[in-house]
Amino acid sequence: MPTQPFTGRVQLPVLIIAAVFLVVVMPTLNAFGIIENFTLNLWGKYLCYGIMAISIDLLWGYTGLLCLGQALFFTLGGYMMGMHLMLMIGKLGQYKSDLPDFMVFLGHTEIPAFWQPFYSFPFAIAMVFLVPGLLAYIFGYLAFRSRIKGVYFSILTQALTYGMALLFFKNDLLMGGNNGFTDFRTLLGADLRTASTQRILYICTAVLMVAVVAGCKWLTNSRFGLIQRAIRDSENRVLFSGYATANFKLFIFVTSAMIAAFAGALYVPQVGIINPSEMTTEKSLEAVVWVALGGRGTLVGPVVGAISVNALKSWATRAYPDLWVLILGGTFVLIVMFMPKGLVGIPSQIQELITKIRRKTPQADPLPPAISSETADP
Amino acid sequence: MSQKPFLLAAEGLSKSFDGFKAINDLNFYLDEGELRTVIGPNGAGKTTFLDIITGRTQPDEGTLMWDDSKHDLLKLNEYEIYRLGIGRKFQTPTVYNDHSVTENLILSLAGSRGIWHSLFGKITSGQRDRIAEILTTIKLADHAHRKAGVLAHGQKQWLEIGMLLAQEARLLLVDEPAAGMTDEETYRTGELLLSLAGKHTIVVIEHDMTFVRQISQGRKVTVLHQGHVLCEGPVDKVQADERVIEVYLGRKSKAA
Amino acid sequence: MCRFLTQRALQRVSLLLFFNLLLAGSFTWAKAQETPSIREVIAAAVIADSPAEQREIILSLKSRPSPEAISWLEKWREGSIFLYEEDGGPSSAVLLDGEADASGSFATIRLSDASPMLAADGSPIRINPKTVDFADTDSGLRRVMKEVTALAALADPSPEKRIRAIQDSSVGQKSEKLPALEALQAVEKNPKVIRVLGESIAIIRLKSRDRNERIAACRTLGEVKSLAAQDVIKSVLDDAMTAGDQETITAAKKAIAAINAHISAINAVGTVFRGLSLGSVLLVVAIGLAITFGLMGIINMAHGEFIAIGAYTTYIIQNVFAAGLKLSPFGISISIPGMNLESGANLYFAVALPASFIAAALVGLLLERSVIRFLYRRPLESLLATWGISLVLQQLFRLIFGASNVQVSSPDWLSGNWTVNDVVFGWNRVFVIGFAVMIIAATWLVLNKTSLGLLIRAVMQNRNMAACMGVRTERVNMMTFAFGCGLAGLAGAFLSQIGNVGPSLGQNYIVDAFMTVVVGGVGNILGTVISALGIGMADQSLQQYLGNPVIGKILVLGAIILFLQWRPAGIFVTRSRSLD
Repeated sequence: MPTQPFTGRVQLPVLIIAAVFLVVVMPTLNAFGIIENFTLNLWGKYLCYGIMAISIDLLWGYTGLLCLGQALFFTLGGYMMGMHLMLMIGKLGQYKSDLPDFMVFLGHTEIPAFWQPFYSFPFAIAMVFLVPGLLAYIFGYLAFRSRIKGVYFSILTQALTYGMALLFFKNDLLMGGNNGFTDFRTLLGADLRTASTQRILYICTAVLMVAVVAGCKWLTNSRFGLIQRAIRDSENRVLFSGYATANFKLFIFVTSAMIAAFAGALYVPQVGIINPSEMTTEKSLEAVVWVALGGRGTLVGPVVGAISVNALKSWATRAYPDLWVLILGGTFVLIVMFMPKGLVGIPSQIQELITKIRRKTPQADPLPPAISSETADP
Repeated sequence: MSQKPFLLAAEGLSKSFDGFKAINDLNFYLDEGELRTVIGPNGAGKTTFLDIITGRTQPDEGTLMWDDSKHDLLKLNEYEIYRLGIGRKFQTPTVYNDHSVTENLILSLAGSRGIWHSLFGKITSGQRDRIAEILTTIKLADHAHRKAGVLAHGQKQWLEIGMLLAQEARLLLVDEPAAGMTDEETYRTGELLLSLAGKHTIVVIEHDMTFVRQISQGRKVTVLHQGHVLCEGPVDKVQADERVIEVYLGRKSKAA
Repeated sequence: MCRFLTQRALQRVSLLLFFNLLLAGSFTWAKAQETPSIREVIAAAVIADSPAEQREIILSLKSRPSPEAISWLEKWREGSIFLYEEDGGPSSAVLLDGEADASGSFATIRLSDASPMLAADGSPIRINPKTVDFADTDSGLRRVMKEVTALAALADPSPEKRIRAIQDSSVGQKSEKLPALEALQAVEKNPKVIRVLGESIAIIRLKSRDRNERIAACRTLGEVKSLAAQDVIKSVLDDAMTAGDQETITAAKKAIAAINAHISAINAVGTVFRGLSLGSVLLVVAIGLAITFGLMGIINMAHGEFIAIGAYTTYIIQNVFAAGLKLSPFGISISIPGMNLESGANLYFAVALPASFIAAALVGLLLERSVIRFLYRRPLESLLATWGISLVLQQLFRLIFGASNVQVSSPDWLSGNWTVNDVVFGWNRVFVIGFAVMIIAATWLVLNKTSLGLLIRAVMQNRNMAACMGVRTERVNMMTFAFGCGLAGLAGAFLSQIGNVGPSLGQNYIVDAFMTVVVGGVGNILGTVISALGIGMADQSLQQYLGNPVIGKILVLGAIILFLQWRPAGIFVTRSRSLD
């Protein structure tokens, strides 16, 4: 394979070291007080975003489906977890009622029927997967059946997200309206406000992320991965190779929705709030930025992107509150235009450049390197 | 006289695009094991006909039956038709540019097309041998790990034929295999197709009359004109047919 | 006094006079002087000794209803009549005159004859409104004032005001209002006023003791489909039900049925009209996108921000026509001088329209040259890059114009109404529809009747072919994109007239705009028109029947997804033979 260029895939040892660092070293340092609770909590948040970014990449980078509704699935997962956490507040709320505060505020006297089962933690976890999964299934079934793809798919997921956000902003839905859920107290009996609980949540997130990366690695290396990428490059050809592409796309769409939802469920107890503004298309697009920056079509790229953009954001929103959005938007435009492979792809881009320069000297015009990317998007 | 069952039978097919009749009352019958060449001037409806067979286009009227009328192809979609054993090579070479040559063939291997299989199915040693065999047949063994996108035009054509072979299709629909090839390559393609005749049923669409002569060798040739079968028969007879000459040389046609 | 009254009003006055003589009892004051002017009457009322006397004097005005009386009573009520007490002498009603001087005092004139108040030495008397009492009113006085005002309004020369007064007098169904209305009915010539008179009289008669009169009133109200009578007829029906009066029940039910039918007809027409206007808004917003997305295949997520550029340009132009504008982006203070034109408020829009088109088109040109042209073959990436641009633009708006909405005034006439047969057509909605028609016509002309349009269509159909034919495709791409952005700018100028202008203005419309183009079918202006109107209608109808805009909107989005099941490529399909 001498002709195969270096694709920017980070080698396995590096991955393992990174995983050990995130899962073991960081929480240990935190337990000894070297890493502040605040920092660990922040990283827990970043890793949740990282998982969501992987779910986007699974769709966009590997299958060519740019979904602008990934924040919706993330938030839905968060809401399912949030419902359980709201019920766990019990009488500790402001109104000292069994009902969540916002329901008391709206004048309800009883917990609505669809809230009842959320007293059970296993049920809530099941819903974290089922509700976003089902929504993704129904929407995906309709969209893929009628062969909506490319930008149309993006626009429709955007509309779906927009519609759902409108719905969740309404008080009548009994999901907390504008303010969403907050003021959580306990999870499985553990006080969410203690450092040790937060540390355990962080470890869960880190473990989940390592698992997701490993799972996706396996998935994309299987024959399924081949088909996935073939769909991305030439869906009709796959259809004429006898594969029911709609089913494949549906499978990956639902899978990725569930991954995002689980990340959302871990996000909520760590951040302590969930509301419909997390659901908007802007949030989805922001997550797409992470993937684009990190490098799509790789599994490490999205995580790198999510962490670096959010770390930058944490710093810049404090240092330059006015300019932050300009920086984000501007960076994004530049990445899309000049760094299609993202941060992870920089080494290969440099290598390509060097080869180009070397070839230029002896011979005039070799094979255009962009040949594959040009025909990639139908 | 008892009728021999057809592999593919098209009757009364019609299809128009915005008033333009691409296919007009087309009747076409194909026997198992046949190597049929379809010729016709531009716009005769050859590619549209293949589109209809493979489920890419729905005709306005007519019937299209497969394997002794066991299946109505018009009711099936692309991948279901493919799974019946109908493979197609497109006019412009259509391979997976970002996949290696081997991966292209793996994707085309006969076998389950389900998600489960794609996740957990292993490639057997038998399949590995088969791929190696095909690579030799299509003379791409040296390029097995190169990306298909960087292959030369002719090589891509061959790869696509290789993909048909991997599929083990009963019916191969080959759309202009010689387009963009050198004479040498064209001849070799002809040889390849001839070697497949008998094992598979093949329909070849072609412009290049030398190539048509090479592969038809007295077999039946169908001439399409304005979406309709103009005449059928051995290549010599067809080339001598007055109507065919008129159509090709652009004289005023009585039939029109 | 006759100066204010027309011949017809005089007739009316004499009739009313007759009626009021019966009611008003004492006319001691009126007898004392022959025919005092209305000013004199009011002045006398202001300085009268007791509230009872004040009421009596004012009630005497009932015999002479006139706009002048209304305006004086109005002045009294709002406290612009003052009491000036000469030293030891009687107090008199005075009005302020001229400008305030340094101490805040004004010159004064007598209310009774408009003569200036002079002190004994002949110098004008000046009073300070802060130190002098104004003529007060109590609730009893205000009640009789209202009575007089209502009666006077019935005699108003303007038919609109008469109609208002007639409608007001039917409120409460007081039978003592009847004679005045009947008297007016005898002389009224204006058909609209006659109709309203009939309606109001019938409404009052619904309370009549005479059963037949009630039934007749029901019939009348049913015939004129009186919306105002809806509730009162229902109470008549209820009474008749308890009394078991079959004939009244039938009449009332019939009237209610007629009115309800009328209401649903009004609602239907209103819904269609609102749907049409919402559809027009969508159309105006989406037409630029139909060019950039539909024809060029560029997913311009910053389309909404181009709309905002148009809106902000309108804002700037408006301020240039008025007092100027101060902006301070990035801490640099920029001051745009104003022309202080008096008619600016109504004129500026004519300038703002082309200006907003040009501004948005220029920014579009810049964007095309710097970003878009690298992404023609990569639609998904153009989506992402333009989203980045949209973020940047939004933030720039925030930095330049502030995060809150800015005030763009619309011409006065836009707030008017046009009522036909109880259906209200707001001028702003009519304007919306007219504007949409204009913009579509213009776009159609550009695309089909100009050489630029020919080039655009050629390039959009086949870029390579057009390039081979010697078309400078780069230039055409540039122009087309700029044209689409310019149209978005126009939409912005237009939206500034009917809604708020703020940094996220465009975000509110972007999803709808994309939906409109997708449903219409890419690359087809007619499809966009049909889909915009269709979505607008569907949205308004659902809102009408569900009474809930959010659920209606969500249902429309769902309907669009289902629609695409049936026609995945939109209303009009463009076919291609290539595989992808």
